[in-house]
Amino acid sequence: MSGQAKPHKKYYFEDFVPGDVWEAEGPLVTKEEIIDFASRFDPQYFHVDEAAAKGSTYGGLIASGWHTVSLCMRMMCDRYLLEVESLGSPGVDHVRWLQPVRPGDRLRMKMTVLEAKISRTKPDRGSILHRWEVYNQRGELVMTMDGYGIVGRRPHAAPP
Amino acid sequence: MTAIKLYWVDFVPGWEYLSPPRSLNAQEITSFAREYDPQAYHTDEEAAKATPFGGLIASGWQTCGVAMRLMCDGYLLETSCIGSPGLDELRWFKPVRPGDALRLRSTVLEQAPSQKDAARGTVKFRWDVLNQKDEVVCRMVGRQHYRRRSPAQ
Repeated sequence: MSGQAKPHKKYYFEDFVPGDVWEAEGPLVTKEEIIDFASRFDPQYFHVDEAAAKGSTYGGLIASGWHTVSLCMRMMCDRYLLEVESLGSPGVDHVRWLQPVRPGDRLRMKMTVLEAKISRTKPDRGSILHRWEVYNQRGELVMTMDGYGIVGRRPHAAPP
Repeated sequence: MTAIKLYWVDFVPGWEYLSPPRSLNAQEITSFAREYDPQAYHTDEEAAKATPFGGLIASGWQTCGVAMRLMCDGYLLETSCIGSPGLDELRWFKPVRPGDALRLRSTVLEQAPSQKDAARGTVKFRWDVLNQKDEVVCRMVGRQHYRRRSPAQ
């Protein structure tokens, strides 16, 4: 709205420098949550039916890959994104689901800034490319992804 | 488990599926976002008005979830699919707003037998999510593994 000052955020485009690493811890993944998410969005039997999943190639219930991604999105929001002048994301590349996520797993994320480019057409913002690496409690890499985010540049009035 | 109708061999390049429409209401959008993506333009109808999106929009991950569900309900649960190694790319082209009628269009791009396991193969798909104006709101290019009907097929 014009004439109304926008509240300042903690982080702007300038706060993401290639090589920077952010780490985040996730909650315990429960069987109930795996089944609940998959019942809504991905009801393949190895995500929703514990007994049938035992006979699958995974040998037991596993989380939908979309559930894993969504849990990571939440970790990213809690770690910094809600305090970032975030203007959305055009997309992600190279999503790899490398290991199944099972009930009782606890996920951990490492986000590395790969690229930070000021927009050519809109100089008040820039694009950040970051790599997500998601590990389980045994240190196994369960997922990787390269994500783009559009982030506003720090306004002159905002404290650094 | 339901009977399997489609195996790896059936997903020939050019195979296409178009789903019936499904929409998300404001409550479904905010409830997903409060759990997994609590940015203001996904959780707060009022605050969303002041953002560049001008109103509430669905988390991109919820759009992917809807696409996955349309795929499951459309055909996937009656296939020999055993999972996905990942996506090459995923793009969110347009915001998804409450009431938008989303359809999934699956198109087979490539079909390759497994090098390691004669009993399975991989299919590369393009998955487009269309809205009621026929705009592609989201596009994914990714792979799924399927069991083969028999090693010869």
